[in-house]
Amino acid sequence: MKAINMSRRKFLKTSSVVGGGLVVGFAMTGCSTVKLPIEMSDYGFVPNAFLQITPDNTVRFYCPRDEMGQGVTTGLGTLIGEELDVHPQDMEISFAGVHRDYKNPDFGVQGTGGSSSLKAHYLPLRQVGANTRALLVEAAARDLGVSVGDIATESGHVVVAGKRFPYGQFVGTAALLTAPEQAPLKLNADFRYIGTEFSRVDAIAKSTGTAEFGIDIDIPGMHHAVVIRSPIAGAKLSSVDKSGAQNMPGVTDVIEISSGVAVVAEKYWQAKTAAEKLDPTWDDVALAKVDTSTVRQDYAEAMKNEEGVSDTDEGNVVAGLESADHVIESEYWAPYLAHAPMETMNAIVRIENGEADVWSGTQGIVAAQGLVARFSGIPVEKVRAHSTYLGGAFGRRGTLTHVIEATEVAVASNKPIHLLWSREDDIRNGVYRPASLMKIKAGVKNDGSITAWQAKRVGGNITPKTLENMMPALFPGLGDGTIDFMVGLSRDVFASWVVDHSSVEGLYEDYDTANKTVDHVTVDHNLPLTFWRSVGHSYTSLAKEGMVDELAEKVGMDPVQFRVNNTQNNPRLNNVIKVGQQQMKKMQPAEGRYLGFASHHSFSTDVAEIAEVSVEGNEIRVHKVTCIVDCGIAVNPDVVRGQMEGAVMFGLTAALYGDLDLEQGAIKQSNFHDYPILRMGEAPEVDVIIIDSGTEPTGVGEPGLPPIAPAVASAVYKATGQRLRSLPFKLA
Amino acid sequence: MIEFTLNGKAVRTDDDPGTPLLWVVRDTFKLKGSKFGCGAGLCGACTMHIDGKASRTCMTPISAVSGRNVTTIEGLGTPDELHPLQAAWVELSVPQCGYCQSGQIMSAASLLNKNPTPSSADVDAAMSGNICRCGCYVRIKEAVLTVAGQSLAYNADEEIKA
Ligand code: FES
Ligand code: FES
Repeated sequence: MKAINMSRRKFLKTSSVVGGGLVVGFAMTGCSTVKLPIEMSDYGFVPNAFLQITPDNTVRFYCPRDEMGQGVTTGLGTLIGEELDVHPQDMEISFAGVHRDYKNPDFGVQGTGGSSSLKAHYLPLRQVGANTRALLVEAAARDLGVSVGDIATESGHVVVAGKRFPYGQFVGTAALLTAPEQAPLKLNADFRYIGTEFSRVDAIAKSTGTAEFGIDIDIPGMHHAVVIRSPIAGAKLSSVDKSGAQNMPGVTDVIEISSGVAVVAEKYWQAKTAAEKLDPTWDDVALAKVDTSTVRQDYAEAMKNEEGVSDTDEGNVVAGLESADHVIESEYWAPYLAHAPMETMNAIVRIENGEADVWSGTQGIVAAQGLVARFSGIPVEKVRAHSTYLGGAFGRRGTLTHVIEATEVAVASNKPIHLLWSREDDIRNGVYRPASLMKIKAGVKNDGSITAWQAKRVGGNITPKTLENMMPALFPGLGDGTIDFMVGLSRDVFASWVVDHSSVEGLYEDYDTANKTVDHVTVDHNLPLTFWRSVGHSYTSLAKEGMVDELAEKVGMDPVQFRVNNTQNNPRLNNVIKVGQQQMKKMQPAEGRYLGFASHHSFSTDVAEIAEVSVEGNEIRVHKVTCIVDCGIAVNPDVVRGQMEGAVMFGLTAALYGDLDLEQGAIKQSNFHDYPILRMGEAPEVDVIIIDSGTEPTGVGEPGLPPIAPAVASAVYKATGQRLRSLPFKLA
Repeated sequence: MIEFTLNGKAVRTDDDPGTPLLWVVRDTFKLKGSKFGCGAGLCGACTMHIDGKASRTCMTPISAVSGRNVTTIEGLGTPDELHPLQAAWVELSVPQCGYCQSGQIMSAASLLNKNPTPSSADVDAAMSGNICRCGCYVRIKEAVLTVAGQSLAYNADEEIKA
């Protein structure tokens, strides 16, 4: 076999720490009595959260954010490694358990999402690296009898007069010293790793099948559980005849739990086959009367008849519309969508001697801990929550009903439980991107200036459901009654008083006009809703960019130039559009191919995309996408490119295929044959141009998604004269 | 009792003959590199080689592999000794979440064994059964085409026999 030796590079380890060394964390807590995260050994100095350096010079980084593919282990490893002077590929990177020092500085809780990680940790983690380096230099100065000024550092070594000494040599002394709190950070010009490209630190593990996901956890005595749930969200079990499943081979328990009926067996396949024998009946719920046509009709009526709640009211829209030479009004539709991460939901729970362990790939391991505590009655301090790699998330792994299920089954069966959802469960029993009906009415003058922008959205809100899912997890001690009250309150508040901003974000912000209103009507049919990659932006971009194309056409202007003219108040977006404009001018699409342009600001990042599209019969083919992104400093430009490529594919799947139908309250689709995901043969080439604006990093996981659907729609308009205002795109 | 060869070693199991190979490999033989994605032959996450040919093992009962050669991602290469495809995957930072990648690599390895110099369209055709929800397609294709044409000696004997 022609083998390539890569052993110099460490790959991400999820095993527990052995051996000792220097453990440092300059905590936001600043308190040395705080208990260690569960993964860490307590040898040495101020036992705390982020770094451990052992006498053999192993540098371990405990990554406080969850790795769902976005490259956060590489990104955060680069931040801490930059100031510590250790190459990120030379560190061992472990996942953090639950610990107060691992809170996301942007959220105040330990969670990963909102494309926030690099932005939130950019300075804090560098500071941890710099303080640790200063400590090691101080220790080396004492041990070697030289002055601090004579010491340089490089690749995990102290360098004195050309001689290299590994950091590990000084950890004994370092452990006795007090760390500085504000060691100076490097100047950007001195960066060695930030801004350079190297392979992701998890690439080897993920190319060899050795990366451990939640589904891969295997513990002694583990049994497998499969749950049959109601096809209609929220319907409780009415009755079930368990006998069909109970006598199947390997089956040990058939248990009623809050979400349905669980079958426990020695092996997964036994549980799965036995569960198919069950035919439970379910209580009736209001959602059972709802079809997709009901949703569309209810939304359309609300759009027409209800004023809604005001989110934004600037200037005077009525006067603005009156002063316009042209007024255009259009409606846009986006359906419910499932996230469909490749790894379906799963959780492993073990309860033993009044203590518990939970393993799961989540976007907030602290929530898994809280749920196990709440549903087992074990105090939260006795629940050890272990993070794993996430096989995709996209917002889905913030909702952890599978952890509740695994806990209930573990308690009732008195066995360690591995609970796995099927793909059908994932698509039919999930939490969804809300469907949305949007309307924009805008005025434009013949000179191309926008005089008014009046936007309205009808649909459900993600925040009440997210609260309903998160509160029991984050406050395991809070009573059910209090939680129900607060969730109910949030539902009422968003329906009648204020707008859940994530419902309308992206619908109105980008273009200049003094007169803007945004109104919102909540119509919710009780299908559970949550974040979905780029959240509100995932549907508002089509409406906002589609309207701008229509306005430009009305006044006979090039749509890209129209965008340049009308984004003077957003200089970074304006610049991204201009760079896109220059790129587009250079492009010469082949006969039968058309270029479409769109841009969007989200998660503090600006992105423009140019799609090269052809239409053959009724089929839209996207051949190439050029993506221009300004996300501040690109900590690892190759990871940024990867996120843009991935977001384009994710957005194209939604634009071309993504659709879920409700039939009598149940989701009709079930697996990848009727909920298709873009495949290689349909995938466009993607060119990414990163604008180096030198400012602090902003989000990259989500912002690449919003522009793609409107860019394709714009190209299709050129090809066919049809305006696509409804997702997924269908040609007449 | 069903016997077959798993990554070069003779194995036997008394799992029900109807059990899909994927679950026997994962739950009985504890090799977790091959993944479950759909259970219906639609995504390729479970791809292994059966006598050198890429197969969707979530749909393959173990009764069908009796006496045959099964190779999983673990049998292709290891972190210290990467198969050239795996090295290309690392070099180009192909994986994002990584969950689909064992299946992608096994499909690619099977393609290159049959057709060492595939065209771009050949790669599309051979890889179209493997979904990547993270959308790593651009890089997967680039990695396959980078390795195409290099000598790939893995399990060559079985490949030819198949
Ligand atoms: S799990 Fe086998 S093809 Fe999807
Ligand atoms: S890398 Fe995530 S599904 Fe392919």
